[in-house]
Amino acid sequence: MAIEQKYSDLINADIDGDISVAEKTELEAYLAENAEGKALHDELASLCATLEGVEQEEPPTFMRHIIMNSVPPTRAKEESPGFLQILLATPALKYAATFAAGVVLALSIVSSDQLSNQAFDSVTGLVGTVADPVQANLEGSFALNEPAIAGTVSLRSAGSLLILDFDLVATDYTEIEAEYSDRTIWFNGFAQLESDDTTVSAETGRVRLGMEGKRRYAVYLHNQGGRETTVNLSFKVDGDVVHESTLDYVPEK
Amino acid sequence: MSKTDDTKLIERCMHGDREAFEALLVEYEKPVFNAAFRMLNNRDDARDVTQTVFLKVFQNFAQFDPSRRFFSWIYRITLNESINWLGKENRLEPLLHETADEGKGPDEEVESARVSAEVQAALMTITTDYRTVVILKHFLGCSYVEISEILDVPEKTVKSRLYTARQQLKDALVGLN
Repeated sequence: MAIEQKYSDLINADIDGDISVAEKTELEAYLAENAEGKALHDELASLCATLEGVEQEEPPTFMRHIIMNSVPPTRAKEESPGFLQILLATPALKYAATFAAGVVLALSIVSSDQLSNQAFDSVTGLVGTVADPVQANLEGSFALNEPAIAGTVSLRSAGSLLILDFDLVATDYTEIEAEYSDRTIWFNGFAQLESDDTTVSAETGRVRLGMEGKRRYAVYLHNQGGRETTVNLSFKVDGDVVHESTLDYVPEK
Repeated sequence: MSKTDDTKLIERCMHGDREAFEALLVEYEKPVFNAAFRMLNNRDDARDVTQTVFLKVFQNFAQFDPSRRFFSWIYRITLNESINWLGKENRLEPLLHETADEGKGPDEEVESARVSAEVQAALMTITTDYRTVVILKHFLGCSYVEISEILDVPEKTVKSRLYTARQQLKDALVGLN
């Protein structure tokens, strides 16, 4: 015999603790005389206990980092600009400052094909000050969401300068190779934020980086004449390629 | 987190404060991910939906009605995104026994995983309307009133759906065993 809808509803309400005293009394009287109703009550109570007991899934480790990387940066507080900011507000001066920084970086590092990160200790922190004042155009970006490494890499351009921005987290030591199709492009500088242990080496047509943990850094490339090029990026952990992507620079016509 | 705490964070988020947004993310990433996972039965899909949800939240803070509770808003977005995801490319939902037969063994963890897989397999046999109320009630701990607010349906409808969903889940679990 089917259970009346009224009692089925009371059984559910009782399990949820959403029942009045009068309804509870009525339900108990019904269950005492109706085995089918009692069985349904027990089965649904058991089902709800099972559902409540199911353990929550842990979200993927890097999900929070990826989401935070996807939202725009915090707006700067409105403050009176300092003397340097007023000077840098002039586009020509912005570029000059960037160029000067680039020259300093280049003079520091392009004398050797294989470079140690030790040379860059002094430029740690320049990512923000060198890259941000530049009217750089975003040419492309991609997100990584691999078990071993996650985050974003983007390519920006400013005149003859190409800037590769890396904002990554790696659980293990990761080797990154950025290879550019146009061999006339040369490595122009490197800067990192908040850390100083990302390794970098450069040779014709490519830059190699090594990192572990959470790191933010930028690689500056000199693209004389603003020629079209593709940067091929590969990410290796223990010698195995875990991710490959490309970023294209196509000059405006 | 209280409604007041959420409201303060949201006010800061509306001014582009990333730290406030990260605080909301820390608070809600797990329930949002779990709701998406229970709707979709796939961790990768749940991750993508979770990312989409938080980006939509960040981009649409201006549309949030402060008289309502933040979790109602974000859970509604989560469920809508999950349902949209299910509609994409005619995704096939997993077969009933695909996950339920996994992991028989003596350890508690294995037993827990087995129960979780069985429940998930049963969940995937019921329609999204019913699945939604079960997830809100039993996995996110929402009350009838809260579910009514999230789904924008009368409380009576919530109860009716929930009771039917439980009956169907019970039958599905019996079938699995």
